[in-house]
Amino acid sequence: MGKNKFLVVIIGFITVTAFWMYWVSTNPSGTESALIRFLSIDELRAETNHGRVKLGGNVADESIQINQNDLLEATFILSQGEATLPVRYYGTRPDLFKDGAEVIVEGAMEGEVFQAEVLQTKCASRYEGDLRDVQTENIEEM
Amino acid sequence: MPIVGSVSLSLAFGFSILTLIVISLYLRTNDTRLMETGRRMSLIVSGLSLVATFVLLFELVTSNFDIDYVAHYTSFETPLLYKLSALWAGQAGSLLFWLAILSFYTIIVVLRYRFQHHSLMPWVIIILTTIQVFFLLLTVFVANPFGPTKADFVVQNGMGLNPLLQNVTMAIHPPTLYLGYVGFAIPFAFALASLITRDVNPMWIRSIRKWTLITWGWLTIGIILGGWWAYQELGWGGYWAWDPVENASFMPWLTGTALLHSIIIQEKKNMLRVWNMTLVIITFTLSIFGTFLTRSGVMSSVHSFAQSAIGPLFLYFIALILIVSFGLLFSRLSILKSEKRIESFTSRESGFLFNNVIFIVMCFTVFWGTIFPVLSEAVRGTKITVGAPFFNQVNIPIGLVLLFLTGVGPLLAWRKTSKTGFIRNFSIPLLAMVIALIVFMVIGYRGYTIVSFSLAAFVLSAITVEFARGISVRIRKQKENVFQALMAMVARNKGRYGGYVVHLGIVFMFIGFTGHAFDQEKEFGIKVGESEHIAGYDFELMSVQEEERPNHYAWIADIRVTDLEGEFVTRLVPEKRIYFYRDPNPNRQQPHSELSIYETVMKDIYSIFNGIESENQTAYFKIMVNPLVWWVWFGGYFMVFGTIIALWPNRKKVA
Repeated sequence: MGKNKFLVVIIGFITVTAFWMYWVSTNPSGTESALIRFLSIDELRAETNHGRVKLGGNVADESIQINQNDLLEATFILSQGEATLPVRYYGTRPDLFKDGAEVIVEGAMEGEVFQAEVLQTKCASRYEGDLRDVQTENIEEM
Repeated sequence: MPIVGSVSLSLAFGFSILTLIVISLYLRTNDTRLMETGRRMSLIVSGLSLVATFVLLFELVTSNFDIDYVAHYTSFETPLLYKLSALWAGQAGSLLFWLAILSFYTIIVVLRYRFQHHSLMPWVIIILTTIQVFFLLLTVFVANPFGPTKADFVVQNGMGLNPLLQNVTMAIHPPTLYLGYVGFAIPFAFALASLITRDVNPMWIRSIRKWTLITWGWLTIGIILGGWWAYQELGWGGYWAWDPVENASFMPWLTGTALLHSIIIQEKKNMLRVWNMTLVIITFTLSIFGTFLTRSGVMSSVHSFAQSAIGPLFLYFIALILIVSFGLLFSRLSILKSEKRIESFTSRESGFLFNNVIFIVMCFTVFWGTIFPVLSEAVRGTKITVGAPFFNQVNIPIGLVLLFLTGVGPLLAWRKTSKTGFIRNFSIPLLAMVIALIVFMVIGYRGYTIVSFSLAAFVLSAITVEFARGISVRIRKQKENVFQALMAMVARNKGRYGGYVVHLGIVFMFIGFTGHAFDQEKEFGIKVGESEHIAGYDFELMSVQEEERPNHYAWIADIRVTDLEGEFVTRLVPEKRIYFYRDPNPNRQQPHSELSIYETVMKDIYSIFNGIESENQTAYFKIMVNPLVWWVWFGGYFMVFGTIIALWPNRKKVA
């Protein structure tokens, strides 16, 4: 049995997988897109026709407002240096979500407010660099 | 005391350079005294690295806050276990920990193969020492864990460890992962040494296989524990999110698994030698790459990577490994090439080969998805993130093909499967698969879930047939009972039957993964006495207690769960805790959700207490019903158990 037949099967498999990866990347299934652009607030504002995007930034101090009739609903201001953006989120909030926390939101603009469907805080165990800043600061306070 | 640690590291660095020089001299002069000196020096390097690690542990335990690292990751209140585990909580400590494990392994290798592998050992020591040099360089000059606290006042108390990390699993999971990552250095050192010395003697491949299996076992345990921790502690109801950190551990696992399979062909048939070398090199590179991904900050942003000192160093080191290894491999191609060809598609060899191709392709898709955000940011300026949907959609079909091969491979004969052999081996498993297919279609399952469950039936029956056949032969010939026959059969061929047990574990895990398709969840707010309905269960909030405990304040909910007939199922008691609640600065208070999970074979009921609104006494919960998660952990036990069987030492005689 020739070596070539194996090669054909292997290359065939790789080609199919490559196309499959491409297909998945370009075809969002339902609401869950596989690839999402990560923008800055300024970039988001500069665009008019944007779909689902991700944004990163900090929760502006004292900007978190929780609906007292439904604790699951929260609004806050996302800040990236000078740029700020109001965000609304409905759902369970991560424990590390608080003033100053570094967060990533995923969703789309609805009028002037960014409607977040996903709200993540950067996990301290995983993102060493970020934790370090906070802790250095805290040590100095002591 | 910290000076001892610092000095130990510097001395180790010096000795590591000396080791390299002395062994190189030995290779020139063949003076065995030099080799003996080199060996001892290598032990000194490893010993000093371990001393430094113990010093840091001592400082952590005794809370010496003059050391920056200790002040960052512990406080007086941190329990002892987590003071110890703070060793791998931060960058400098975890690099030292990497070095410590490598040193531990190096000591074993140097002592154990003292009288074996004569021509290989000098090079093995050189390669292991070179890796040590890299980590010593990092810990001495770039990220020294013994650096003094950067403050112009006396630090009274440290920061303490993040409450999320204060979990027993979190104290075990990183060391097991590291034992896995770092262990691949040893097959790598042996492989490279054999390339350098042009030694293609199959003797060393056996040593490599054992090390690969040990390392692979640790990596497997580490990955599963990580998933278990995420599920029990993080409160998003899942165990795998295709996070870069998870992918970092999954990639060497995939190539390592491929290696474990293809190395068998080299042992039995002396084939695929070039390929195995490639796999060893890739696997080790991926474990360094994994450490790089988790420790350089490259994943959060290209910019933070550029600022970090260790990121570029890791990249240079990875480039060095790849250039040297593949350069060597190409220059030795003519020696490694095998005369033998795979004879047939229906041979076990070809089964192994396809399995390898699939593992590698899967690894590549994970690699691509992991680095794509970084590449897109570097090339186009806009970061494009790749989410779990990409990884899931791409990998589900590939995984199912792999599951299929798990069943097919062991049924194929070496060289070529005859037609009669094919019918004899495949009829029962195929029948089981068809029956499962029809049953699940009638039940009304759709798409991948049917395929997955049917394939699970196929593989389970294939493994059962394999065991049953072996047992029945022994019962007939040796007149043993079933249990004796099973034990004797497994004892005679531990690698093979251990492997099958691991395969069983994989099947159970796939059953668990498939359950994810049926997950249901709901978020709601209710008052005491009210109830909510989800997935065929009623959740009634009985009470919410408040309690002040030593280091946190807790609200404890009591939820009574009943099924549709009103039968009592379980009580769930999720808690909302506030750590550092006495701190006047609300930002320093740390909320923490303590989950309550009701686990059964068929489904888990997973509850998170979101918070309580004091004004009108409404408590908010997220409830998830996750079918079949139990099977993931169950499969994990089988994988570990199978690995232990395969590693179980033979009785004395064989040696």
